Amino acid sequence: MRTTRRGALILLGAGVVASGARAQDRTVVDSAGRTITLPPRITKVFVAGPPASVLTYALARDAMVGWVRAPSPAEKEFLAPPARDLPEAGRLTGRGDTASLERVVGLKPDLILDFGSVSETYRSLADRVQSQTNIPYVLIDGRFDATVASIRLAADILGRKERGEALAQYAVTTLALVDRVVGKVPQDKRPQVYLARGPEGLETGGRGSINTEIIERVGAVNVAEGLNGRGGIFAASLEQILKWNPDTIITLDRGFHAAVQSKAGWSDVRAVAQKRVYLSPGLPWGWIDAPPSVNRLIGLRWLLAQFYPAEAGIDLPADTRAFYDLFYGVTLSDAQVARLLGGAPAR
Amino acid sequence: MLEARDLSIGYDRRVVASGIEVAVKRGEILCLLGPNGAGKTTLFKTLLGLIPAMAGEVHLNGQPLATLSRAEIARAMAYVPQAQHLEFAYTVLDVVLMGRTAHLGPFAGPRPADRERAHAALASLGIDDLASADVNRISGGQRQLCLIARALAQDAPLLVMDEPTASLDLGNRLLVLDRVRTLRESGYGIVFSTHDPDQARELSNHVAVIADGRLAAYGSPDETLTAATLSAVYGVSVAIERTESGRHVVVSANNTRPSTQ
Amino acid sequence: MLAALAVCLLIALLIGSVVGPFPLPIGDVIAAVFGATTAEPTNTILFQIRLPRVLAAMLVGGGLAAAGATYQTLFRNPLVSPDILGVSAGAGFGAVLGILLSLPVLAIQGLGFVMGLVTVAVVYALARALHSQNEVLVLVLAGIVVGALAGAGISLVKILADPYNQLPAITFWLLGSLAGIKPIDVAGFAPLVILGLVPLALLRWRVGVLSLGDDEARALGVNVVVVRGIVIAAATLITASAVSVSGVIGWIGLMIPHMARLLVGPRYDRVLPASALMGAAFLVLIDALARTVARIEIPLGLLTALIGAPVFVWLLARSRRVWS
Repeated sequence: MRTTRRGALILLGAGVVASGARAQDRTVVDSAGRTITLPPRITKVFVAGPPASVLTYALARDAMVGWVRAPSPAEKEFLAPPARDLPEAGRLTGRGDTASLERVVGLKPDLILDFGSVSETYRSLADRVQSQTNIPYVLIDGRFDATVASIRLAADILGRKERGEALAQYAVTTLALVDRVVGKVPQDKRPQVYLARGPEGLETGGRGSINTEIIERVGAVNVAEGLNGRGGIFAASLEQILKWNPDTIITLDRGFHAAVQSKAGWSDVRAVAQKRVYLSPGLPWGWIDAPPSVNRLIGLRWLLAQFYPAEAGIDLPADTRAFYDLFYGVTLSDAQVARLLGGAPAR
Repeated sequence: MLEARDLSIGYDRRVVASGIEVAVKRGEILCLLGPNGAGKTTLFKTLLGLIPAMAGEVHLNGQPLATLSRAEIARAMAYVPQAQHLEFAYTVLDVVLMGRTAHLGPFAGPRPADRERAHAALASLGIDDLASADVNRISGGQRQLCLIARALAQDAPLLVMDEPTASLDLGNRLLVLDRVRTLRESGYGIVFSTHDPDQARELSNHVAVIADGRLAAYGSPDETLTAATLSAVYGVSVAIERTESGRHVVVSANNTRPSTQ
Repeated sequence: MLAALAVCLLIALLIGSVVGPFPLPIGDVIAAVFGATTAEPTNTILFQIRLPRVLAAMLVGGGLAAAGATYQTLFRNPLVSPDILGVSAGAGFGAVLGILLSLPVLAIQGLGFVMGLVTVAVVYALARALHSQNEVLVLVLAGIVVGALAGAGISLVKILADPYNQLPAITFWLLGSLAGIKPIDVAGFAPLVILGLVPLALLRWRVGVLSLGDDEARALGVNVVVVRGIVIAAATLITASAVSVSGVIGWIGLMIPHMARLLVGPRYDRVLPASALMGAAFLVLIDALARTVARIEIPLGLLTALIGAPVFVWLLARSRRVWS
């Protein structure tokens, strides 16, 4: 593809560089309804953000060209080579990006993939980058409700239909299990949960926020009312937590988990008194959120096992091994499983 | 010719003084006297059109000030403020060149002719050698002369000077007063405020004394700068003594002693 | 001196066009700019990515430095920067509101630009309504007040924003960067910057006279209210359009006019063109650095602060007598 340019002036009015369509090219429609022309085989994918990097790693890690943020040694232990050793390539959000567009073009990816919001902002960002770099830019709906469909769509776009079907089936089975177990538990037996973040446990995600989505998906009540589904993490006070009086606490912080029993004031919280404070595993990615991607599917099973051990009857070590094998391509040793379920420490 | 007709001055709707009738013509010096807070500065700003008159009018060459544009006023009347420290280190020539603003088009900068006029103004005050000096690094008297040069470069026949000798040492004060006298002789009309009645007596054709919200006295120096008026206006008892050389000086009436001259 | 600075800018533009993470031979770059046919990906990288950035850096840097020189002269304070009247906070609030409402990118930039102008208009109207003797002081104080309100608005939007999709976009938007600049962005904001520079250039002498203070400037024949109004509008137009495409890039508007004064003296009619040329060259070079020093893009505000802070201290030590 060659284009002639006359003078820098043209640059000011330059629009889309004409793309030379080839006979074997196929067109796909992404979650934002944008029609995109793709080469027949996708061998190089640039991931635009953290959720997309998890999805792409699970579906087509051989096609990844880099990470948004290079994995740490502790994370690498739970990721497969050679993808885990790919370099950091930065984040692409259209403004204040850490990814260098010139480098993106230089990497010559067949596709830029983003998994998350498909709002007008992200749709126009995708259009801009696509017209600027002449690289197809695909948006996949990142809402948790859309997980199964999004895995299938991404797999189709990446040309990994079979693999996508296996992952989608896993998601279908897991969601069915969730519905079955939750259906067995009467409304009043479901836990009142507080998500404790930060070393003091005083940061939480509001009800309906993306941070607590899967806690609510397993039938639990998020005690932090929040902002009617708007916003994300906010600061809570111990006084407020005592008033909410959750019977269960999920925490992402190892230090908080270890210290909560002896923390002043916390012993009056029902969950602490009843020793129902659970440390969520977090490697290579979080099980509750961080990032909000397919990594949360194993989080659903883990939550079922904590909240409804009798009804769920889940063999957590076996399920963990299966998920890591299927999604991340790593075979876990017993010691690794034990460390994960004990809230694997960051090294 | 600058004329105040039944003028009330003040700001923020508060009248400071009223009933002011003063005038100055070319070749004359009008001295303004008055105790602190009597409204000398307010009167200055009103005469310059910087704040509006509360009542009455200021006429510049027969026209009400309010009907003239800033540039028209600036071409007829130049303001010599008290010399202050400037935030930017302009040269003396830069400052004097700014006097040419009213003669430049709205979008123009100074032309070579304006530079010549600025140098001529400096030369007429004998400070052309300071043209490229930093205006914040010359003496107070030189700075005051620089501002007078700026007013001369403005080519306005009337000069309004706000206490031009206030913060100067003896040498600089005499230098500036000498130049002011020369300017009157070359035909400038000058309004000049001072705290020193002796200076006023020596220099001016007319003296206006502002006190107690009115024009307390207006006329020739001999009519206005009497012991009775000054005692009343400043609230201290003063006497006027005649020196051996024939000059009059104002002294404290409580501490009269023979002149040492 | 101005000619020498113009040559410096040309050299900076050349360096900016040639330097980048994707190595392009200098010959190819020059040939391509003058109309020769070049192969992909040279074409895309040069015309879609790199040259828009270089041009945007030139306009943003020159514009911010010119606006900074203007406000420093206008407010008779060499420590004033272009966002003294709250334009950056206002534009930032407009942009993050646009992100919260999930608007398209051009609409986000437009909202940022409009809110920047509105903020300064509110500040100006407020200062005029207060009828103070010291209008300059009231303007600055009103700018601080309204700017703080806009800052509070930004914080509120951050709390309301979706933490994974909107919050990162908001954070990055508020950082100064030219990484995502498209040709159409340059086409949109270049005329606005130039539109703002023209009145400053035309009124260069009168703006300089304003540095003497309101009373003296009026006595010298300047219609202070009109000139100041036009100049604030022009400098705001420049700053708001720059901030809406590049985010807040500090230090340039503060530091460059000082360096310009060292070279050409304090007269505004000389400081204005010198600042514009130096600011343009400076940001073109800083942006070239931002895209080459690391594997990932470095925010411009970070680099200008890293370079600006020590240079400013040096200037303070060196030029204290220039303005104190």
